[in-house]
Amino acid sequence: MALVLTRIDNRLIHGQVLEAWVPFVQADCIVVANDEIAGNPLQKMMMEASVPSRMLVEIGTVAETILLLNSTRLNRRRVLLLFGTTADAVRAYQGGLIYERLNLGNLQAYKGKARLSCTLFLDPADLDDLALLDQTGVKITARCIPADGERPWKKLIPAAKGGV
Amino acid sequence: MVLGLTIGALVSLICGLDRVAILQVMISRPIVAAPLTALLLGDPMIGLQIGVMVELLWLARLPVGAAVPPDDTQVAIAGSVLVIILGQSLPASGTELLLLCLFVTIPLGKVGQYFDRYARQYNVRLVKRVSAALSRGSFLAAEGQHLRGLISFSLSSLGTYTIIILGGWSVIPILWPYVQQPLSYSSSWMQLAFPLVGITVILGTINVSRAITLFCASFCMAFLLMWLV
Amino acid sequence: MAISRRTRLHIWFRLLLLQASWNFETLQGIGFFYALFPGLRKLYSKEKLPEVSLKYIDYFNTHVYFAPLVAGAVLRLEEDRASGSVAAEVEIEDFKEMVAAPYAAIGDAFFWGGLRPLAAGVALFFAVKGILWAPLIFLLLYNIVPIWIRTVFFSRGYHQGLKSVEFIQRHKLPDLAIHTKETAVVVLGGLSALMVFSQLTEHQLPSWLGMLTLIPMIMLGLVARKGFSTLLLVIITVSTIFLLGLFWADVVQLIVF
Repeated sequence: MALVLTRIDNRLIHGQVLEAWVPFVQADCIVVANDEIAGNPLQKMMMEASVPSRMLVEIGTVAETILLLNSTRLNRRRVLLLFGTTADAVRAYQGGLIYERLNLGNLQAYKGKARLSCTLFLDPADLDDLALLDQTGVKITARCIPADGERPWKKLIPAAKGGV
Repeated sequence: MVLGLTIGALVSLICGLDRVAILQVMISRPIVAAPLTALLLGDPMIGLQIGVMVELLWLARLPVGAAVPPDDTQVAIAGSVLVIILGQSLPASGTELLLLCLFVTIPLGKVGQYFDRYARQYNVRLVKRVSAALSRGSFLAAEGQHLRGLISFSLSSLGTYTIIILGGWSVIPILWPYVQQPLSYSSSWMQLAFPLVGITVILGTINVSRAITLFCASFCMAFLLMWLV
Repeated sequence: MAISRRTRLHIWFRLLLLQASWNFETLQGIGFFYALFPGLRKLYSKEKLPEVSLKYIDYFNTHVYFAPLVAGAVLRLEEDRASGSVAAEVEIEDFKEMVAAPYAAIGDAFFWGGLRPLAAGVALFFAVKGILWAPLIFLLLYNIVPIWIRTVFFSRGYHQGLKSVEFIQRHKLPDLAIHTKETAVVVLGGLSALMVFSQLTEHQLPSWLGMLTLIPMIMLGLVARKGFSTLLLVIITVSTIFLLGLFWADVVQLIVF
């Protein structure tokens, strides 16, 4: 199994992922690690229905995803892994799902979050999560779509502090 | 001339709003916006040529979610205005002038991207105003704030148009004497190159497996057909 | 209490202005509130209206052409909730959140990724031939489906409510999007062949040369796949052609000797 992209995106599967990232990283399998959607059959169905049938979609809880990606089931697949929140990303990493790079896509505004870039709104807990991953050696960059430039997340931090 | 620029600005405003803010009936695409501008200025064929050259360039940059592509609408409109107006005042015309105008205007499409982002950023403050208006129960004010967003997008479109026009106006007359002759050797090939580059970008980024193979097959089939028939 | 046809028409027209206040924080949130407000006003008392409205201006984003479908269904759910006839199976906010991203994904793939290049490709055939109707051909070809989706699906959403999500399963729309894109690629192949062929005929050059165009095109396509910008590719191509044009005599000499 090749993990071609690990991304945090609160919208999970949507246009940017399917239209811009999938052809760019040549993924043929999308794995979504999200407890909420895994527990809601209707929502899960809707999300699966938005993906072309030639791609494999696996939607599971974070715990299930750790097992799935450490098994041999997705051998020979090029996997695009999606998290909804930074907390999930940390939980998966600590649970044994190792990724080397992490892409920050969209984290939308909920009240009390500070703006990091156009589409990234983070609160202090999110920043702590990212710092934790950063310390373990994960390379974290912000990039909405491949046509945008890739920016290391730490370069964005001063903007966040100004807003808090 | 002033009339021409004003007509251009009007088209720029209407087509610019179609891009994001309202309607989305695709009058913002270069293949529509450029001929429309040129038609109003009296030379639709120039607009059609510009439309063909610009339409495909950024077609692969999809406006997905919060992603903002370069502003090809304003490039097409301002490009048409520049070609037609400068064609009257300079001792210049033909494909070479059209190409020079596009060389100058296409990079300025990035300015439109920047302005568009700025407008969307500016509109963030509408959120607070709307929720304040709703909390005190004045619904009319809340609805008004939504329409205020149109002002940001209008200014972004007109700003891009103005910058492209000013940029073109100040650079093209200076460059023209130097590039006219050299360009004439290759102008028709460059005219061909623009849409082809656009197509290659689409092929490179479209979400179809084996897009390039499919393209080559189709190209060869069509080409052989025209060759043999 | 049902929402009158007139109010629904009002809402439909307001949906054309959906993205007027698009912003990075709530995206279409305010617009969705703005569109639905005429309906909400009919359903809620003056005291409750602010509270309901405040929920609406939160984060919302879907494809513009599918927004009427969501709006129609939300109206029906609001009606049900207001009349209290049906115990709401799903919270309206959850419903909005649930359908927004999948509809957006499908819309982006089909309209932006598929239909737009297809319609542009077909229209450019006419434009290249110098036919001034090309822009109208583009507008007609492109707009048929969006107008259909915007109108028919708005009333379908309203009449079916929660059930309106079922179309997404039945029609395999993401696969349709892929086929549209494949068709677009084929059309663009034909378009390129036409443009290259007419250029060669105009310059009275041997036709087989046209096949050579594929080589730089494939190379540039692979470069584009790596994420290089259009602007860079344009600069590379234009300067290559410019230099070739300037020094063509020397190039020919080099090849001959």
